[in-house]
Amino acid sequence: MKWLLFACRNVLRNRRRSLMALAITAVGTAAVLVGGGFALFTYDSLREVSARDSGHVVLGARDFFEGDEDLPMQHGLAGAAALDAQLRALPGVRAVLPRIQFSGLVSNGDKSAIFIGSGVVPELDFRVRGPQMKFVEGEPFGPGSAVPEIALGKDLARLMKAKPGASLTLLATTTEGNLNAVDVLVRGVVSVGVPDIDRRLVLTDIAAVQKLLLTDKVSTLSLYLKDTGESAAVASLAQAALPQLAVRTWLDLAVFYQAVRELYNRIFGMLGAIMVIIVLFAMSNTLGMAVAERTREIGTLRAIGTHPAEIVRNFLFEGIAIGAAGAAVGMAIAGATTFALAFAGIQMPPPPGRSSGYPLLVNFSPLLYAATGAAVIAISALAAYFASAKAARKPITDALAHV
Amino acid sequence: MNALCLKAVRKSYRVGGSQVQALRGVSIEVAAGEMLALTGPSGSGKSTLLNLCGLVDAPDAGTREIEGTVVDRYSPSRLTQLRRERIGFVFQSFNLVPVMNAYENVEYPLLLLGTAAAERKKRIWEMLDRVGLAELGRRLPDALSGGQRQRVAIARALVKSPALVIADEPTGNLDSATAMQIVELLRELTRERGVAAVIATHDERMTRHCDRMLRLVDGEMRDGEMRGPAQGEAR
Repeated sequence: MKWLLFACRNVLRNRRRSLMALAITAVGTAAVLVGGGFALFTYDSLREVSARDSGHVVLGARDFFEGDEDLPMQHGLAGAAALDAQLRALPGVRAVLPRIQFSGLVSNGDKSAIFIGSGVVPELDFRVRGPQMKFVEGEPFGPGSAVPEIALGKDLARLMKAKPGASLTLLATTTEGNLNAVDVLVRGVVSVGVPDIDRRLVLTDIAAVQKLLLTDKVSTLSLYLKDTGESAAVASLAQAALPQLAVRTWLDLAVFYQAVRELYNRIFGMLGAIMVIIVLFAMSNTLGMAVAERTREIGTLRAIGTHPAEIVRNFLFEGIAIGAAGAAVGMAIAGATTFALAFAGIQMPPPPGRSSGYPLLVNFSPLLYAATGAAVIAISALAAYFASAKAARKPITDALAHV
Repeated sequence: MNALCLKAVRKSYRVGGSQVQALRGVSIEVAAGEMLALTGPSGSGKSTLLNLCGLVDAPDAGTREIEGTVVDRYSPSRLTQLRRERIGFVFQSFNLVPVMNAYENVEYPLLLLGTAAAERKKRIWEMLDRVGLAELGRRLPDALSGGQRQRVAIARALVKSPALVIADEPTGNLDSATAMQIVELLRELTRERGVAAVIATHDERMTRHCDRMLRLVDGEMRDGEMRGPAQGEAR
């Protein structure tokens, strides 16, 4: 305790220099925490979007995730209703949603466009997708209407000049390879914030799609869980219960999430590395000057029986004191920034390939704070070691003669 | 048993391109409680000899004994430990640690030795009282006069009850009156505690308080050994 007290007094010996090192350390810490917190917010948001889109765990026929289909529903899943009850019994499962992926042409009588569709259980699907699917016009459709109802992507709706209440025709290839058509009523216009999808998207009742494709199969069964973190565990249980099926987690299917995460990890990893170097230089400079100024003092302490390692320990305490104070101030700045951003309502511009922006928010992660604080203190200690190790081993006579 | 014994020690330095013989086979012995003055002109080898006596430098040849033990083959770590336990230092410029107050400066050697807190406190206050600074223990060195700082340095050197004190021009930065007080204090304390002292000095008045005086010229003892009047007083 005494040594730490002496170290703190030594830190205050040259207040301006110590303050400068502390400020640099604080800014570096805050930058890493705010940047890292923003990355964590992005990961969390994208994870939820991805999981809500695909389901936390997705089950398909053995070849469904591997190869292309020669005919629609070639790798479809039969007996979905029976599987539904079995899967619903797994721990943590909130809902089991059958889905059919299909494609074809949509026509308004004057012109046609390619669509990529999804047959869903509407009363469940719109609920689990949550805010990521916005109805820009109209409202969600329901099941079992006499004329099948659909929701259209907003850009496809504009192309088809379709508003809620408009009639359109969907054409698709059946499971037997023939063309089939069904008249549908536009009930809503949606946006998922991705122009490429909004230009092609058609959502309709799964029963209508089965009728159009002449099948009773579904493409996949999506399990929605209470906790996204349980995805891998539930996937293992599902695979064990149904070994004849292929099972994927949302992470296996989230190509965009993984690409963004890899990109951000590199960007923020680079930022972290730069901050490490800046803090290391700032601390090395501050402590290096302190060591140079105190060479004679080091010689005195060595003469009266202080081991070199004890001299280094004293400087380590000084480095740790500055590093800890800088980290604490940096954490306070980052915490205040996180708090302020939560109320500021700042919107980020849409990222590439997206049509809508997202709020600028920063996650508070105790683990990130603890890891960053520990790293800053370790870097400071390392700088102190490098700054003092040589001086502590300098010949005592040379150190005492130092001017 | 002598506290310190040097036999035929030699030391040379390389200055520029040439070798300078700082000590040319010097031998000294200092008994416990004895105070030895080293005098001589600048460059005569006083500081070099003092460094060898204090184990902060190693001779090229010759042997050194501390309390009867030859220490020439000791590792640097063991020498540090020996200095920590058995040797005290007093410097011309006091060399107190500026962030430590007088009490803490005196406490430092005891912290190194791991002395228990209660024992440490007792010894420090006794020592500060003995050097006349009991009232000023909480003052930082900057707030002390030169004489007071040197008293703290003497207390720091003696608080651990060493066998030997090395003092390099301890009155060099003090006015005459203060210098006399410091010399007398050092003399009293070393004598009453049976501590050997080797003091490098130019100060004639200081040598008068020492038991013996050695004069160094060009790294060799000259004029033999001279006894100071204090030797007679002591007996």
